[in-house]
Amino acid sequence: MTTLSDLKISEVKLEGEHVGKWGMVIDQDICTGCQACVAACSMENNIPFVGEEDSGYGRAMHWIRIERFWEGEYPEVKMTNQQPMMCQQCGSAPCEPVCPAFATVHSQAEQLNLQVYNRCVGTRYCANNCPYQVRTFNWRDYQRPEPLPNQFNPDVTVRRRGVMEKCTFCIQRIHKAQDKAKSEGREVADGEFTTACAQACPSNAITFGRIDKEDTLVYQMMHHGQSHGKKHLEELGTLPSITYMNGGGA
Amino acid sequence: MLKKIFDWLMQPLGLIAVGIVFLSVFSVAVYGLSATQQTPEQPIQFPHKTHIGFGIQCLYCHPGAAKGPAAGIPSQAKCWACHNQIEKTQTSVLLAPLKEAVLSGNSIQWVPVAIVPDFVQFNHRPHIAAGKNCEDCHGDMSQVNIAENPQVLNMGFCLNCHIETAGEDEEKLIKLTDCGTCHY
Amino acid sequence: MSEQVSRRDFLKLAGLGAATTAVLTGCGPASRYVTREPYQQMPEYNSVGQSTYYATTCRECAAACGLVVRTYQGRAIKVEGNANHPLNLGKTCARGQATLHGLYNPDRVTDPIKKSRGDSAGEIVDWNAAIQAVADALKNNQPDEIAFLLGTSSDHLFDLVTDLANSTGINAPIRFGAMSMFESRATLSKAAENLFGQTGLPWFDVGNADVVFSFGANFLETWLSPLSYTRGFAQMRKATETKLRGRFVQFEARMSATGGKADEWVSLRPGTEALVALAIGRLVAEIRGGSVPRIFSSVEPADAAEQAGVKLEALEHLAEMFANSKAVAIPGGPALGQSNGLAVAEAVLALNALVNNFGKSGGVYLSALAPNQTEYNRPASSQEMQALVEKMKSGAIKVLFVHGVNPVFEIPNSLGFKDALSNVGQVISFATFPDETALEADYVLPDHHGLEGWGYQRVTTGTDLPVLSGAQPVVTPYYNTRSTADVLIAAAQLAGGSFASALPFADEVEFLEKKVSALMSESNGSFSALDSTAFMATFQQFGGWWKNVDSKVTPNAGSVLNKNVKAEVAEFAGEGEFFFVPFMSPTLGEAGANKPWLQELPDPTTTVMWTTWVEINPETAHELHLENDEVVRVISEAGEIEVPVYLYPAIRPDTIAIPFGQGHTAYGRYAENRGANPADLLGKHFNEAGDLAFAGMKVRIEKTGKTKPVSRLESRMGVYGEELGEEH
Repeated sequence: MTTLSDLKISEVKLEGEHVGKWGMVIDQDICTGCQACVAACSMENNIPFVGEEDSGYGRAMHWIRIERFWEGEYPEVKMTNQQPMMCQQCGSAPCEPVCPAFATVHSQAEQLNLQVYNRCVGTRYCANNCPYQVRTFNWRDYQRPEPLPNQFNPDVTVRRRGVMEKCTFCIQRIHKAQDKAKSEGREVADGEFTTACAQACPSNAITFGRIDKEDTLVYQMMHHGQSHGKKHLEELGTLPSITYMNGGGA
Repeated sequence: MLKKIFDWLMQPLGLIAVGIVFLSVFSVAVYGLSATQQTPEQPIQFPHKTHIGFGIQCLYCHPGAAKGPAAGIPSQAKCWACHNQIEKTQTSVLLAPLKEAVLSGNSIQWVPVAIVPDFVQFNHRPHIAAGKNCEDCHGDMSQVNIAENPQVLNMGFCLNCHIETAGEDEEKLIKLTDCGTCHY
Repeated sequence: MSEQVSRRDFLKLAGLGAATTAVLTGCGPASRYVTREPYQQMPEYNSVGQSTYYATTCRECAAACGLVVRTYQGRAIKVEGNANHPLNLGKTCARGQATLHGLYNPDRVTDPIKKSRGDSAGEIVDWNAAIQAVADALKNNQPDEIAFLLGTSSDHLFDLVTDLANSTGINAPIRFGAMSMFESRATLSKAAENLFGQTGLPWFDVGNADVVFSFGANFLETWLSPLSYTRGFAQMRKATETKLRGRFVQFEARMSATGGKADEWVSLRPGTEALVALAIGRLVAEIRGGSVPRIFSSVEPADAAEQAGVKLEALEHLAEMFANSKAVAIPGGPALGQSNGLAVAEAVLALNALVNNFGKSGGVYLSALAPNQTEYNRPASSQEMQALVEKMKSGAIKVLFVHGVNPVFEIPNSLGFKDALSNVGQVISFATFPDETALEADYVLPDHHGLEGWGYQRVTTGTDLPVLSGAQPVVTPYYNTRSTADVLIAAAQLAGGSFASALPFADEVEFLEKKVSALMSESNGSFSALDSTAFMATFQQFGGWWKNVDSKVTPNAGSVLNKNVKAEVAEFAGEGEFFFVPFMSPTLGEAGANKPWLQELPDPTTTVMWTTWVEINPETAHELHLENDEVVRVISEAGEIEVPVYLYPAIRPDTIAIPFGQGHTAYGRYAENRGANPADLLGKHFNEAGDLAFAGMKVRIEKTGKTKPVSRLESRMGVYGEELGEEH
């Protein structure tokens, strides 16, 4: 098998060099596919609903989706473990180098893949190059009749037509927690805040935190469990920040 | 083809046409810019100068600036706390809207002047904590009556200050020039 | 020109022009001419730019999960779970999250209206006139001609109406909802009563079990208390240093979202659940040695396996699994909604007696009663609902008050609710949304949305502790609505006599204070206070009051194994080749169709959004030459509906399934004229406990020649071999 180092692509960072900052562990074995995370994400991040027709064309704007696959045929049919899929906040993201407007940039400070809405001109190159298919595009100015806009989160930009968007790891919550911690002269504690999806998840299948610090729950789950889990499409050299587990052994 | 167009443009008629197009675009642009320069009509001709002259601190009326993202506009109850003890409030024409709003319970519709676009997430608190003064961005309010747009709140202004503040500190520079610090 | 203007100046001016153009295209002035409205009087606990959080209780279903709602400048912007609430420990489901789309729904009823039946619009009346109308309705009719039909939340209103009924002689309020119909609560508690001689709602400690057998219970979706069962499921599934990963077996004809999580999914023929449970019981008894208990003795495992369409070896293997571990068996969902639903519930509960898990960790309990409850009080069964409908039909009910439920939509047509309404002199709806029942009402006197109102809700199952969950307004009412409790109190005062003395309160808050402060004298509370004002304030602040004492009841297992359970296959009504499984949509629930983000949530199993579908096994569809998206007519003895086909790989070839939740003819722009209502197919058949035999129908299907593209999240490529690029 070709390994990463065989590829000799200079842009590809190797696992050893990359740590990342924020990360997630998702236990697919206990995810029930209930969609609470999807709803929570939409409410937190001012995501528009697109209606029946556009969602039929695959234009629904979920930043997180639950994938489920079938295995076998009736009666030996099995629904594989649900797979919540959102932006993997790659350390070496395929979406970033293809953006002609530098709207898809890597945050050096938070080690996240940013989408700068005011720079985005809507070429959709990034979505084409994303192996996880987690970027969604505002095909229209989706209507939210009054008084629905009362629910908007003031900490998140309301996007308009022609702009690409995706999961931000709730960067507004990261900033809020950092700001609060700084005002109190301390570091952000593990578990002090979490993303909207992890906060809602009824089975606690999503855990969020720092993956570059050893004393966090996420780090413990990634490195000290029975299984180290797997990262999706890691072989592409994307260095994702989300680790998927299938219970204890997978 | 291109040469043809160019030749045509270089003849007198062409130059006039170019001039007209340029002038019309330019004048619209200048008009647009001047429109943004106008101090907007406020419901009350609020004199910042007078209030600061009395020695009232900015944070007395805009306490949010020290605590979080928005500095805030004071509630009319706050205005009234002082003004109902001032005799002039009862008679002044300029203060009539305040009196009317308080007595009727209607809200005063202020027009914010120093605002950033929706895609900028600005937080006052860290700026105050970093030792910035209000006038660094908002201009010297002790010299103005009705609040004016200081016309400095663009990205270059923000970034210049961020880079200056970071100085030699690499980590701080990364944080302060990160797109994700303001845009999300 | 160039002589007067230097190049430098020109560049400056050009730059200015460019900047202005940029500014004009949206970088500034568009948002410059906005106005900001400060508070007239800012509440002292508020601060500009800071969010304020209020604890309250979710009213999207009857489970009573605690919420903390983030508000900002007087608007509710995010629902979060109340981390201290014993039931949900800070978690929320999708329906709870989307409750804000109810609060800020563009189609709410904005004012009290007087109207004629069938009209959505009417004459706006002022609240005094509305209250006078309610008072007249109370005063000018005989008490037994007045009936209240309430939803499963909120309990404070139920208590208020119950108090009113007790002292004035009006009919006791009936609580009903499609959710409680699909849960078959009456069957479950009746089975518990028959086996244990105790009333109560069984609670299954899934979290501490090693093996979970569920007969149709959709406990990860909408059943009883989905959040607490999901938490239990996660605990069961997770391997720790001290325990292995738990295993979960689901028995059902159509794979539900819950069944999708099962390690083993047993697809049995609908109606054979009781037989299979008893057969497993017999096999377990044989494995554990000793004589076979009487309750299991009447069934022959080989026979049962054949009837159910499963292999005997499979049952033996499952019995082995059940016998040798800390196991629990749960009856629920469609398995109970059949003619022999009670027998199914008893047979499955009896399995637990074999492994002797009653009152033990990982076993079966009866749920703790809520603090202000002395005995378990369940919502009405369909048969009890039917009794009210009969009364209405005969003209014995002159005034019907409806709150918190949409019976015209939720009650199957065959029960005749809508027809019976025409024999009721006056229908007064307290609907927050313009639903089908409000359409048929004479008055619509809108209640606040749940996030705008006061109240409490009892936690009936899902936690060890007795919990009374508190609700308070998190925002001021957006429209000219009024709390129904306030309307009733004011109307009772106007009506005078026994009505006035039954509700001697100034308003709803005073009523709540009386009810809630009764808990002050209880010991071991989650908090205490010296006076009732402080107690009420703390009650609202914490989102409820709970007693820190494990109050689950151990069922009396003594004679369970010596009971008799009829080892029969369920009877099915109608002539058709397909068994019919209607199920509650896990994302929409009974009343979620008007919330756009719930509509756009993909169904957990099919990933369909915004519409109704019928699930058909791909093999069957192939035989019938049916394709995805082809619209078929599903016909039962009670009615017919048209729905597009979804080829569902995890359903028996002799079974079809349709989700409940869509098919509204009113209820706002997002719900109207969308999908179909499977309740139209349900006949008037009850099981022995009085629950509707909703899963006891047989149906046939006809082609219509039409197609309807179904919006779904999943890609069509690869799943059924459809062509790349095929669009609709």
